[in-house]
Amino acid sequence: MCDACLGRRDLLRRVAALSAATLPLARAGAAEAPLRIGYLPITDATPLLVAHGKGLFEAEGVAVDRPVLLRSWAQLIEAFIADQVDVVHLLSPMTIWARYGAHVPGRVVAWNHVDGSALTVAPSVSGVRDLAGSTVAVPFWYSIHNVVVQALLRASGLVPVIRGSGTLAANEVRLVVMAPPDMPPALASGRLGGYIVAEPFNAVAETLGIGKVLRFTGDVWKRHACCVVFMHERDLAGRPDWSQRVVNAIVKAQLYTRAHRAEVASLLSREDAHRYTPQPVSVLDRVLAPPAGAAAMYEQDGAIQHADWHEQRIDFQPFPYPGYTEELVRRLRETEIDADKGFLTALDPAFVARDLVDDRFVRAAIAANGGMGAFGLADAFARTEMFAA
Amino acid sequence: MTDAAPVVRLPRERAQGAPARLALRWSAGPVLGLAGLGGLFAAWFVGTDLLPPAGSLIRQFSPVAALASLPDLVRNEDLLTHVAVSLTRVLVGLLIAIVAGVPLGLAVGSWRPLDTATAPALQLLRMTSPLSWMPIAVMIFGLGDRAIYVLLGFAGTWPVALSTAAGVHALDPRWIMLGRSLAATRREMLMRIVLPGVLGHVLTGIRLAIGIAWIVLVPCEMLGVSAGLGYLILNTRDSLAYSELMAVVLVIGFTGFALDAAARGLLGLWRGR
Repeated sequence: MCDACLGRRDLLRRVAALSAATLPLARAGAAEAPLRIGYLPITDATPLLVAHGKGLFEAEGVAVDRPVLLRSWAQLIEAFIADQVDVVHLLSPMTIWARYGAHVPGRVVAWNHVDGSALTVAPSVSGVRDLAGSTVAVPFWYSIHNVVVQALLRASGLVPVIRGSGTLAANEVRLVVMAPPDMPPALASGRLGGYIVAEPFNAVAETLGIGKVLRFTGDVWKRHACCVVFMHERDLAGRPDWSQRVVNAIVKAQLYTRAHRAEVASLLSREDAHRYTPQPVSVLDRVLAPPAGAAAMYEQDGAIQHADWHEQRIDFQPFPYPGYTEELVRRLRETEIDADKGFLTALDPAFVARDLVDDRFVRAAIAANGGMGAFGLADAFARTEMFAA
Repeated sequence: MTDAAPVVRLPRERAQGAPARLALRWSAGPVLGLAGLGGLFAAWFVGTDLLPPAGSLIRQFSPVAALASLPDLVRNEDLLTHVAVSLTRVLVGLLIAIVAGVPLGLAVGSWRPLDTATAPALQLLRMTSPLSWMPIAVMIFGLGDRAIYVLLGFAGTWPVALSTAAGVHALDPRWIMLGRSLAATRREMLMRIVLPGVLGHVLTGIRLAIGIAWIVLVPCEMLGVSAGLGYLILNTRDSLAYSELMAVVLVIGFTGFALDAAARGLLGLWRGR
């Protein structure tokens, strides 16, 4: 109708101007750029946040940006793949999937924390068997939570179901993936029989009185890694000195957290000026600095069945035991996952323990900070995995 | 709108029915509007305070609790900063939508082959949620404000472009003929006939874009930012602080309402000039 109003040349010029305006700026001088951390607002992020909040990175001579808060595991790994962050905490099974399923060039440099998760159920549930016919939520298919809950269900003669919307048989339990903050309200509304997730969402359910801890994951798999520290292979190979200093700071943050649990709970809380997480200190205290009688109470109601393991609700130690990685690969193969997990069958557990994990830096950092004894562990870089569903 | 009957209707004439409607708006309008809002609050109150059993989690969503936690939010969370940050993001996104959408709409509206060639593609882009582009936005623009600007701009471009194109189609052909017969240059055609003629449509498109950008804002503020109303919603959700969550919902609703009222005012100003 109005061919005359806008010439083609005008249009081209405009389009060109537009695309020039939106072209990404290249990151200049990557070597000197400050360390970029990605994290989720959960207690899993503790060592990274403590290292930032207590100035431990600067003490190692590593410039650091304010950690970037993301809201889901998928976003966290997307940010890592997009090279928007240098170091993240990832669920340990996620790293196997990332490196061998999605071919992300990253490696595990240290464990981030151990234990720190639990199976929370409705108050009416008194044992795993009571979950028959109900739905249980997990935070991610590739998670230690999914591995542990399926083992727990099988040990009680139940069958985990991950697909379909049909009715469940009497001995089946449906597993669904859910965002952790949605789990407590779903439990309260009766849509879930239970959920297995990292803290503080178990502590939240306890505080609100909508659920109780049926079993701690650390009571099923003794001192299991939950989150691990994941970094770009490029950095580990290309700037080992910088990587060493990053790992040093994280190891020191773990030692610091072990010695100052209450202070760290307050540092991470919404009441602190850093505003790392939106959680109130009362909830974080339950996880990081539980009162003295708490463990005895959990032993009484069966949430802790291995009192002799002396596990903390959440604990910190950095060394990535190869035996754990191997056991995890084997257990992942037996775990139902609603995604293509064909790559797992071809994986050799011993190869994964060598190839996925780069323990050069953490070994040096542990040696420089008082050895394994500083974390209350035997002075050996091997252990026997204890798994008792 | 593309097949509008060839009746001469100058933009000014559209305002002719307005005095009567205006009269209603200024007398019964606010009363009815307030009654509607009151009804909404009453339903909210009944649904959260009266129906659920005592101790139910739903009671935390109550309007009473939400209003009660508002002062705390202003004091402890620096609510006004969050509002300002979110408004800035929406306005920048809107600017991108205008800068991209208006020329696109003009081009598509004025050149039929381009219209035919791009219509399916534009519809396809318009119908995909901007949130599904999140991973790509993060990869290209990084975490933080730039990715949010682009996602909001992307969301707003289509309503602006389609409205503008519709505006071009709705131009009276006789104006164009008049311009041509007076030997107007391309620039004069654009500045004196096309742009004034489509401005109303553009403003309508912008108003639609504001609504969409405001809706997309909350999920966009998941992308590694540390302020904003969406950020606040996600924080309250992460800590299960539902009364605060509802308070932020109220703030988002009323701020969006004000933003839309401003755009409507602008539109009214243009129509009534």
